[in-house]
Amino acid sequence: MLRERLAELVSRASGGELAAADVLASDRSLPALGVTSLVYLRLIDAIEVEFGCDVDLDGPFLDTLDGLADHLANRLAGRLADAPGGRAGDR
Amino acid sequence: MTPLTPETVEFAGARGGEAPLTWGQRMIWSSTRWLPDGDPYFNLSWTLPVAGAVDLPAVLRALRRLIERHETLRTAYVKTGEGTVQRVACAGRLTVGVYETASRPMSAATTLAAELAATAFDYARELPVRCAVVISGGRPRAVALALSHLAVDGWSLNLLATEWPRLLTGDDLPAPGRQPLDQAAYESGDEAAARSARAVRHWRAGLARAPRSMFDFPGREPEEPRFVRYGMRSLATAVAAETLAARCSATTASVLTVASAALLAAVTGHRTAALQLIVSNRHDPCVRDMAAPAALDGLFVLDLADGTFADAVRRGHGQAMAAYRNGHYDLSAVDAVRAEAARERGADLDLDAFFNDVRPDGRWRDLPPVDRGDPAALRERTRTFFVGGYPKVKAHVFFATGPASATCEFFVLVDTAFLPGETAERMLLGLETLLVRAVAEEVPLDRVAEVCGLAPVRRPAGWTRVGDDWIENTER
Repeated sequence: MLRERLAELVSRASGGELAAADVLASDRSLPALGVTSLVYLRLIDAIEVEFGCDVDLDGPFLDTLDGLADHLANRLAGRLADAPGGRAGDR
Repeated sequence: MTPLTPETVEFAGARGGEAPLTWGQRMIWSSTRWLPDGDPYFNLSWTLPVAGAVDLPAVLRALRRLIERHETLRTAYVKTGEGTVQRVACAGRLTVGVYETASRPMSAATTLAAELAATAFDYARELPVRCAVVISGGRPRAVALALSHLAVDGWSLNLLATEWPRLLTGDDLPAPGRQPLDQAAYESGDEAAARSARAVRHWRAGLARAPRSMFDFPGREPEEPRFVRYGMRSLATAVAAETLAARCSATTASVLTVASAALLAAVTGHRTAALQLIVSNRHDPCVRDMAAPAALDGLFVLDLADGTFADAVRRGHGQAMAAYRNGHYDLSAVDAVRAEAARERGADLDLDAFFNDVRPDGRWRDLPPVDRGDPAALRERTRTFFVGGYPKVKAHVFFATGPASATCEFFVLVDTAFLPGETAERMLLGLETLLVRAVAEEVPLDRVAEVCGLAPVRRPAGWTRVGDDWIENTER
């Protein structure tokens, strides 16, 4: 689910230039798909708004859909584990 | 060119008001403070074409609507007890010169625009825009503009150019979602404070890794004028940058940024390069249609000690994204971090090396179809040229792309108090060589100077390296 939703956010950040289905199907990196820095920054903002968490770009660089999905899944799991009564799988 | 009777445009916008400067305005404001009063360096000259059967009243009406819809074009910058503020006039008037020319109206407009931009703006009392209409063959053909950089950045100019034809034909345009007054309010809120705090953390970590200066070697007798800028148009560079970007999972902007960093490090004898990237701060859709200066500096620090140029591009792309993401901040907070880092290091940090990618969408859209396998074969088409000399610029080196979309346009400015002026041209050709070579083979980072035919600066006996800082022994 997370990958699908991220692919939609990539598509939206690109102003529709990239189709979500193509992003999902491809194993190329985001820059190779045509994600410019402006589109990438828009995507990171959108992820933060949608999932309510901070994406750290000062760590290892997240340049693939899977890399972003893993990073985000870890962030969300960490947050849910920390939250009182929170448990993985709420989302 | 014959001057005719000037016209007056009376405008009345939706509102006026006063607010603190936005972070982007404060950036330009502090840069203007660095120059002597009356210096027109931060003026932009600009022309807009008038196509079709449009008469003078229609052009004046379009100008009126442009000023009414963008509050930045009717803003003064006034010093008050609480610091400098932006003050938006609701209504006012603009005198518009009218000139007639027998031929070449666009080049007449370019000349006029340069003349209008040659005098500094009185930021507190004058509108930040001056304007003239060029008439040829009985109808308006072009508009010449001079704008203060306090009112617009490169992004804003593109925005105005996009809106202009629609304003001329009288189309209704939606009002911009955010104006600088709104931006100042946003920047005083919690969300912006969190962004700024994140940027401060990024700066603190970056400054700890940066050399205290890329220019830690004895200065030289400056040339006259002291700052020189050279340009290059190179299809070979564009093609090679695209190939490397695809190969390294990076953007062409990052390839050019890392190449600039590698050249600078090679010339100045450093294993780490620090550059300030000009961050447009336009990825947020809320500010996409805001005419105002929004750009700030982002800190980019790249380790170039080991590996190949391609390795550096892979690493550098992530670092560049982090720098761009952390480019929206309260200037005084980042200034405080810089001062703190200087105290800890016991020396001022000199970060006067810059990179600016001015391409609006970060790519070359109109490259001609060529054989992409052999960019070296395209080098015979490359041209370099002298752009200009300047008495005072707040940079020791400034790398920048140009707006061309069918070739790589690239510029290097150097401060001849540190590097010979010809270094600018050598770096341009060195950049091309580096990228073309890196397409064909792996280029080790410690061979960049040699591959590019650049002579590293020579430090006299007694200079030693401590970490990545060069120190003259008498300092120790």
